[in-house]
Amino acid sequence: MTSATTPISATTPILELRRLTRSYGSLTAVDQVDLSVVPGERHALIGPNGAGKSTLFATVAGTLRASAGRVVFSGQDVTDLPESERVRRGMVRTYQHASLFLDCSVLDNVALAVQRAHRVAYRFDRPARRFRATQAAARRHLDTVGLAGRQYDKAVALSHGERRQLEVAMVLAAGPELVMFDEPTAGMSAAETERFVALVQRLPQTLTILIVEHDLDVVFRLADRVTVLHLGRVLASGTPPRIRADEAVRRAYLGSAKTEDLFIDAGEPQ
Amino acid sequence: MTAGQARSGTERHEAPGPASDTAPGGGDGGRRDLADRPVSHAPLLVAAGAAALLVAAPLVLGPYPVTTATRILAFAVLVLSVDLLTGVTGLPTLGQAAYFGVGAYTAALVGIHVTADAAAQVIAACVAGLIAAAVTGWIAVRARGIVFFMLTLAIGESVHQVADTWSALGASNGLSGMPPIRLFGSPPLLAAGFVYWWVLAVAIAVFAAVTLVARSPYGRTLRGIRDNEPRMRALGYRTAAARYGVFCLAGAVAGVGGALWAAQARFVSPGDLGFEVAALALLSVVIGGAGSLWGPCLGAALVLIVRDNLSASLGGHGPLLLGLVFIAVVFLMPRGVAGLVGARRHPRTRTEIPS
Ligand SMILES: Nc1ncnc2c1ncn2[C@@H]1O[C@H](COP(=O)(O)OP(=O)(O)OP(=O)(O)O)[C@@H](O)[C@H]1O
Ligand SMILES: [Mg+2]
Repeated sequence: MTSATTPISATTPILELRRLTRSYGSLTAVDQVDLSVVPGERHALIGPNGAGKSTLFATVAGTLRASAGRVVFSGQDVTDLPESERVRRGMVRTYQHASLFLDCSVLDNVALAVQRAHRVAYRFDRPARRFRATQAAARRHLDTVGLAGRQYDKAVALSHGERRQLEVAMVLAAGPELVMFDEPTAGMSAAETERFVALVQRLPQTLTILIVEHDLDVVFRLADRVTVLHLGRVLASGTPPRIRADEAVRRAYLGSAKTEDLFIDAGEPQ
Repeated sequence: MTAGQARSGTERHEAPGPASDTAPGGGDGGRRDLADRPVSHAPLLVAAGAAALLVAAPLVLGPYPVTTATRILAFAVLVLSVDLLTGVTGLPTLGQAAYFGVGAYTAALVGIHVTADAAAQVIAACVAGLIAAAVTGWIAVRARGIVFFMLTLAIGESVHQVADTWSALGASNGLSGMPPIRLFGSPPLLAAGFVYWWVLAVAIAVFAAVTLVARSPYGRTLRGIRDNEPRMRALGYRTAAARYGVFCLAGAVAGVGGALWAAQARFVSPGDLGFEVAALALLSVVIGGAGSLWGPCLGAALVLIVRDNLSASLGGHGPLLLGLVFIAVVFLMPRGVAGLVGARRHPRTRTEIPS
């Protein structure tokens, strides 16, 4: 299954998938995936359309139940925990298709993430704007992604790229230890993508990042490790240069429209 | 330790500011509510003017209109509880009349057997409404959408059945013999105006409290659930608990409305908590504009006036008129009366076509 692996680091993994499987009826979208991510790692997940990347994310995050296998986070088995409990432990995801509170203001969207992390989400003893620390943190996150000027607009008024930026702000505001980005730059302009890459590079090294990304330039700039998923299975997992050189990966992509994008546009190994 | 835990408690360092600027009115709550937008003072002035007019009403009106106004205020409190669920949280309900009825019966029983003190009756009714909602809501909030709607209907009908058959509550004859209310040791308040002022004071307090909830972080949580509940779970919210909380809160508010209703009528019957009351309360929310707080209060006035005062002169066609109003609202102003004002106050939110 795994044709290229790097030696597992001595550190205990923050996320460990053990033969994780998820089926839709007879279709096995994620098939016995083993994966381990160490704290602070920037791990990219690539693979052609329909490889099962989003399904894997949803199963790890708890949006979907696993059909078989385990998800272990920080040494604890979270396979049977609902999504909200996993988030409370620090596993936060974005959606491939932005999922926002369209009828709320941009600021409220981020504040919803912040106020839960600040544990004031159920307070009604004073107006929200009096929770200064929460409001300030929400504004700071908006500022980070460049949406500060639009805080009072409704989320529904944002452009596609801006919605992606807002998703990023919400995830960072939710107090994560592990962030899972599902194609964060899809639909962003070149400038927005650049801002996103710079933002991720500036994030604290203690934060662990799992990212699904089609833009290989972004992948090879950000990732320490890359896992290739194909037909729900792990085809290869290793450092970016090893993945680039991997024969099985090349063969699997042969005939796929993605081959060229994957390995020719990607530039030289870093 | 997660980053979230590390950051928790930061709020404790804030000065617990008094909630003084949460005066009633200005309720641009709900769909247009931007919890944090700098406050404009115009709504506050309008609210103060409206409150002044309401306070002055008994000085210029005769006893009959004052009685009508008292009933409208009590009904408006029920409508606020429906709006909290339907408008703010996005849970349409037909069950709130049950908690309204629990409050009304509780207040009447307290009045007959314990004390004529109006404040004690309101508190007892509030607690009873809260408990009733806490017991029944536990089942209801597990469902969503149409199933939730049907469960609230079932709760309403069950409570109506109980009131209609339980002899200790007078069964279908209702509960009469409630003495006139007293306030803080005053003599019995027999004049309609005094009862009105008491009901007005409580209704304004409830309005202020609901406004505060709608603008608080919890209100934001509820709007988040209304807009996108799965996303709330992905942010770590236990959404069933949040929905249960607002269900209990709405039960308490409806209970207070019931006590006010009983204080005026001094008689409670199963008809006060029937399907019709629940439906009219929901209708008031739709007409007024779900999510706005003052809009549904206007809706409550309109609905009650049509039912109780105009129906006779329309040859009993009040329900028909309400039905027509309902259809007109749904098609012509989907955000109700409040939507009309809102559209003028926030002209054209910048909208871009998503690329
Ligand atoms: N809800 C669903 N029901 C049935 N099949 C599904 C469902 N969601 C996804 N699939 C199927 O599962 C497989 C994996 O889909 P998934 O969305 O996880 O792929 P992906 O790697 O994220 O693809 P993309 O790059 O297009 O986002 C696909 O064959 C897809 O058709
Ligand atoms: Mg996908």
